[in-house]
Amino acid sequence: MDYKGDIFYIEQILAGNSNAFRYIVDRHKDKSYNLALRICGNHEEAEEIAQDSFLKAYRSLKSFKMRSSFATWLYRIVYNSAISSVRIKKKKILSLEDFPADATDFIRSNSTEEEAEREYRNSLINFALQKINEEERALISLYYYEEMSTEEISDITGISKSNIKVKLFRTRQKMLEIIEKVEKKKLIYYE
Amino acid sequence: MNKQESYKKDPLRHYINPESIERAPEGFTERLMINIKAEALSQNSSVKLAKTSLVPFISTAVILILVIAAFLIPGIQSEAFTLPGVEFLNNIKISLPVIDITNIFKLQLPVTLIYVLIGILILPLFDRVLDLFFHREK
Repeated sequence: MDYKGDIFYIEQILAGNSNAFRYIVDRHKDKSYNLALRICGNHEEAEEIAQDSFLKAYRSLKSFKMRSSFATWLYRIVYNSAISSVRIKKKKILSLEDFPADATDFIRSNSTEEEAEREYRNSLINFALQKINEEERALISLYYYEEMSTEEISDITGISKSNIKVKLFRTRQKMLEIIEKVEKKKLIYYE
Repeated sequence: MNKQESYKKDPLRHYINPESIERAPEGFTERLMINIKAEALSQNSSVKLAKTSLVPFISTAVILILVIAAFLIPGIQSEAFTLPGVEFLNNIKISLPVIDITNIFKLQLPVTLIYVLIGILILPLFDRVLDLFFHREK
């Protein structure tokens, strides 16, 4: 079935057809789940955050003024829920030793070298993501994975556009430093 | 600088694959919709409860107005008070009967009590009418 747009289904829900919310969930669940997952770094917790966020959105649908897009409004709820959840449960800080040093681990579990390389890069980035704070993780996720503009990110996070640019620059540097350290460690390991 | 150039200049892009999106777990929508339906059900029942609880409030208010009116209207004789409704009530020359129940029950009850009792008797009738009105959507 063709998706008729968020507004169409929101109007249906407000008219009493709660089943219409299913279409909205199907449309936005993956992005919401991914945003929560990248901020909290745990699958179960990410699902819980995403589910809670959809429920919150459903409850406050009447107060949605349609000034921003529904997606932006929903991701703002996900962002706030995930950030506060992480702040409550403050994760342990990973050390470089926690990263699997042997690249052959990736080759063994994958059929081709190319896939293994991709998997390795993914692990590197996920490791670096866990080493930065929750707000920085959210910015990286929205900018690089969701490919949002700084304006959209500003709408979701409530951080000014100029501040987002500064934070993105610093976070990028921080992540590259972490990746560099891990890669150096790998070289030392092979020497 | 176009988007492609900025992509090339950003070394972090070398590690990030935007297509590596995780799918929401199996049954995500179904689990959520169970909660949504429960939520919708509780919202509906609270609206119904609010409607139902209006019935005794409205009937009590109506009875009170009737009882107060019964006390006040016969006593209004002033020329200055010329509300059309009051004037009409005064003109129809019907006065409320004074029933003396002290001889029947040998009790010294205030005469006005009989109006209160009549009002209480009317209350279930109002209740019924309001109930029919608020539940007609069934």
